[in-house]
Amino acid sequence: MARIKVDHDKCTGCRLCELACSLHHIENTFNPKRSRIKVFIEGELHYPVLAGPYTDAECTAKNMVVIAGHEYDECVLCRASCPAKPIFKEPDTEVPLKCDFCGDPPDPQCVKVCVPGALTFLPED
Amino acid sequence: MDGWVGRIIRVDLSRGEFAVEDLDPYLAMDYIGGRGLGTKILYDEVDPQVDPLSPENKMVFMTGPLTGTGAPGGGRYMMVTKGPLAGTVNCCNSGGHFGPELKYAGYDGIIFEGKAPNPVYLWINNDDIEIRSAEHLWGKTTSETEDIIREEIGDKWQAMDTHINCIGPAGEKLVRLANIINGKNRALGRGGAGAVMGSKNLKAVVVRGTRAVTVADGEAFKEAVLAILEKVPPGGGPLADFGLLVVHAVVSMMGLIPTRNFQSGVFEGWGNIDGFALKEKFLVRNKACFSCPVAGGRVYRVDVEGFEGCGEVEAEAHVNFGPMCGIDNLAAILKANYICNDLGIDTISLGGSIACAMELYERGYLPEKDVGYQLNFGNVQAMVELVEKTGLRQDFGDVLAEGGYRMAEKYGHPELSMSVKRQEMPGYHVQGIQGTGLEFATSNRGADHMRACTYNSELLGIPEKLDPLVTEGKAAMCINLQNFLAAKDAAGLCLVTAATAQMTPEDVVSLLEPATGAGYTPEGVMLAGERIWNLERLFNLAAGITAKDDTLPKRMLEEPVLTGEAEGHVNRLGEMLPEYYQLRGWNEEGVPTQEKLEELGLA
Repeated sequence: MARIKVDHDKCTGCRLCELACSLHHIENTFNPKRSRIKVFIEGELHYPVLAGPYTDAECTAKNMVVIAGHEYDECVLCRASCPAKPIFKEPDTEVPLKCDFCGDPPDPQCVKVCVPGALTFLPED
Repeated sequence: MDGWVGRIIRVDLSRGEFAVEDLDPYLAMDYIGGRGLGTKILYDEVDPQVDPLSPENKMVFMTGPLTGTGAPGGGRYMMVTKGPLAGTVNCCNSGGHFGPELKYAGYDGIIFEGKAPNPVYLWINNDDIEIRSAEHLWGKTTSETEDIIREEIGDKWQAMDTHINCIGPAGEKLVRLANIINGKNRALGRGGAGAVMGSKNLKAVVVRGTRAVTVADGEAFKEAVLAILEKVPPGGGPLADFGLLVVHAVVSMMGLIPTRNFQSGVFEGWGNIDGFALKEKFLVRNKACFSCPVAGGRVYRVDVEGFEGCGEVEAEAHVNFGPMCGIDNLAAILKANYICNDLGIDTISLGGSIACAMELYERGYLPEKDVGYQLNFGNVQAMVELVEKTGLRQDFGDVLAEGGYRMAEKYGHPELSMSVKRQEMPGYHVQGIQGTGLEFATSNRGADHMRACTYNSELLGIPEKLDPLVTEGKAAMCINLQNFLAAKDAAGLCLVTAATAQMTPEDVVSLLEPATGAGYTPEGVMLAGERIWNLERLFNLAAGITAKDDTLPKRMLEEPVLTGEAEGHVNRLGEMLPEYYQLRGWNEEGVPTQEKLEELGLA
């Protein structure tokens, strides 16, 4: 299966990926709230997250994880859209959005505009 | 509309009312947006003679047609007002995420007029616009203000998507060096814009939006974006490594780093505070503004005792709190930068003002009893303390809060203020960079390194290398760049990203045309820039800022640099200025001729 590798350390928080996504999926339109990738910015940390599956039930246990001395809210890193994380939904209709690798064959537009190299496309091996 | 959203919010703070108005499409076409539209609105609606801190002054926040579109560096917005430091038209530019979010909420700009009877902030969430009480925010720092407002939103995810512009205590106390800060670290800087906001009892502008910015031809726009991204060096290039200190590395090598209030161009401690030192000691990571492929933002964290702090630092802060004050303690410089952002003060003007006070003190013009402590060059504690005191208008800080020029005037030596039109000069010894001297002298808001960036050409060879020590050809280059940069500011593009990608007027058109669907040409874009520049000039002339103010501090014109590549040189402004006026189509008094005004549609 093709993958997109996300290197959080390289992400500068410019959000060009959100714009490329929105333009690809909606004609002539830039709207980060309708993008299927979102960069969460918390202080000096940037988390690019690709929209995963929608679930209508939120987790019953929520995790804080510590990796290399940094504490992360797993909800922020999670790719799902759920009642506790109402992201990746059309703002007006609430229809869930999901990353589709920009079609078949996969051609993710977000990767193309990622100058710092935080997003890398790994084709099917 | 495409590119532009087509709507502006007008807020009457005195009455506590607001209205949403349509953007005039013809005006938008002629002035592009941002700096252009903002200046046009100010010029049409505000008497240039007005006291900048009176309710009659207005503040115009304005984005450009490329703001929020994904154009490289297309996240900029401007705030245009009459500034209290220089008394000129004052266009401040900032990146961050506020400008694009304003467009996603459905507005190109916001006009503030009048004065609120009590502290307020403006809340915008798509159609939901409210003037809310800011009583509980008054007196808070910029970071506290952001945190409180986000906390009040309640929903974590919505709070993350909300972007905030606010003033700190400096703006509230009408410090003439006050800034407006967004995202805790980005500034609508220079000229005292924060004091205008404070004079209106306006603490913050908060925005969130879920709507779209549409473009006329998405495919053509995307092609243009990818072509420009191709021109950005891999990973963002040297700017991503060292931020804007890249430029100052060259400045320093040439012996032109402003040292001890411009008394020298060589600072012995530069190696302790330069881009390498920052990277080695305190740099956490790079950070980009919205839509920026370069990411020159420098996030730092300092845990040295007494200087603790974290945030983002800009190159000019290194120079103005460093060599200018004779200080090579990087932790202290970053602390000064941190306090400036938190209280909402301009780092260039405050660093320059403190350096001026230090020279006055060392020469015996400024008595120690007025300051309360020794104020010699290199005095780290005094510098950091004065930064805080100025932001809060305490003790001697109350005098500095009026700006370096007014302070030096008070002590009988205004010539020791290294300022143009009362605004402090950024970190370039212009005796050795002739064109930059002309840029500072003719800038429409006082000394400014973001009005032509002539040093890019003279030092770095962008777009073409000119000898920094000659005056020939500098007037034409300066005019050309001033017009081009005015157009880029109007479009919503970042000047630093544009320089990194070596963007030409053709590149700007390649974005503007598919974005707006309007028939822009490279010549038309340059003409719009010239129109903006001349309109700013007309405002200043009517405000009483004239040719006599198009000058440099005596030190730049008469005292030769003693060392480095420019040894023996002064700035030969007199050789460049008459040619500048002539090429601008202005008369000898620096007034645009009738013919020029007609050509620009300003008659």
